[in-house]
Amino acid sequence: MKLTVDVSICRGHGRCYSLAEGLLSYDEDGYVTPRGEAIDVPADQVDDARNAADSCPEGAIDLLED
Amino acid sequence: MTSPAEERTEISQRVPTGCPVIHLDASAPLEAGAHWEKANELRETSPAFFNSHAQGYWVFTRYDEVREMYQHPEIFSSESITPWEPDPVYRFVPTQIDPPDHAKYRQLISRWFAPSAVNRITPEAQEIGRRLVADLAPKGECDFVADFAMRLPTEIFLTIIGVPNSDADLFVPWVEDFFAGFGGDLEQQAAMGAALGGIRGYWEAALEDRRHDPAPREDDFVSLLLNSVVDDEPLGDALILDILTVLVLAGLDTTRGQLGYLFRHLAENPADRQRLIAEPELIPTAVEESLRMYTIIFGDGRKVAQDTEFHGCPLSKGDMVYGLVSGANRDPRVYENPDEFVVDRKANNHLGFAGGPHRCLGAHLARRVMQVAVEEWLKVIPDFTITSETPLMERGGGAMMTLLSLPLTWEAAS
Repeated sequence: MKLTVDVSICRGHGRCYSLAEGLLSYDEDGYVTPRGEAIDVPADQVDDARNAADSCPEGAIDLLED
Repeated sequence: MTSPAEERTEISQRVPTGCPVIHLDASAPLEAGAHWEKANELRETSPAFFNSHAQGYWVFTRYDEVREMYQHPEIFSSESITPWEPDPVYRFVPTQIDPPDHAKYRQLISRWFAPSAVNRITPEAQEIGRRLVADLAPKGECDFVADFAMRLPTEIFLTIIGVPNSDADLFVPWVEDFFAGFGGDLEQQAAMGAALGGIRGYWEAALEDRRHDPAPREDDFVSLLLNSVVDDEPLGDALILDILTVLVLAGLDTTRGQLGYLFRHLAENPADRQRLIAEPELIPTAVEESLRMYTIIFGDGRKVAQDTEFHGCPLSKGDMVYGLVSGANRDPRVYENPDEFVVDRKANNHLGFAGGPHRCLGAHLARRVMQVAVEEWLKVIPDFTITSETPLMERGGGAMMTLLSLPLTWEAAS
């Protein structure tokens, strides 16, 4: 699975990185990092990735299933 | 110029068949929970309504439509955010500024309330929480809303701004008086004006105190604003005072409101309380669930900036719309068991902090305040109940909702 954040609609809610701490972090303004690139999701973090995507109030996270 | 009456006729004539007309004035206090019941009923009756209240405005009740409203500021302007008042005399910054200018002001402020900044003051926030709980615990009872829920966010807010948290003694009554009048109670208007004057006067004095500093003070938000520029110009006193005042009015009463509902839930649901005591790592998801299910924003207004067709409604420039956030956050099209409080609900994309460019700037701080409240309270007062012989009441949905009081009792350690 790959995870991408659509930078153009992310508004820094912070839901994703609080639910997927192993995958995502944040910058000084509270926006998710990394962004603008596809992130490989390890098998043991697939649930976290799904929770992050399902919890984004902007719908800014896309998951690409393998 | 058309008179309000003519304008009302004009808008209402555009209401298509299939868009029910209601007359809903949500400004009066109701029994606690009644606003969410109303929101559920409206959402399941129709995705869109025309409300003939005030000059008349469109109401959108479901998640997708509310989110779309938030995400399209080019159509839905924040020039007015109160649908019954399309041309407000005030202009909150950055709340009522549209893109692209909005970002210039927002960037100044948002870093101060970002997660790193919130983490920096968390040890102090916990200390404040511990002190307030320790003061209350021996009493065995309190009005949670007045005695704890207002005091905690106020002290933590003043800490992050960089002014003495003991000045909460001033801010708590100011904010109480302001919101007593904000809902429209005419008898409270003088007290509301005096409260606003007190808040502005406080920040004026803070500005004066810092104006001749040789260098900006560290961890001091007023000093930061004084030394900031937008478009190569200093902000100026008037704008700085507006920003500081808006933060006070947007941040303290709202957190109080959310805390009241969360603690009402914990008082009435011992199993959820026990679970959070046993598994404190679930506190953040419980806080998030309370923001979804007990949303204090009945709805949020926007002003239509261009003629457009929106989900079957012919919107004209100047019309007002109202996104029913309370309806969206319990939309069964999005949430399983939407009226159930699921302590560990992980997939939770609620709009309790709004969305789009105006997403609540204080969201990270508000969450932390709520987490601290639950952690510190449950450590000392694990069991508590509501003692009220009459039903709890909540403030009307015209402003942000809050329980008017929440009398709690517990067994005080002797």
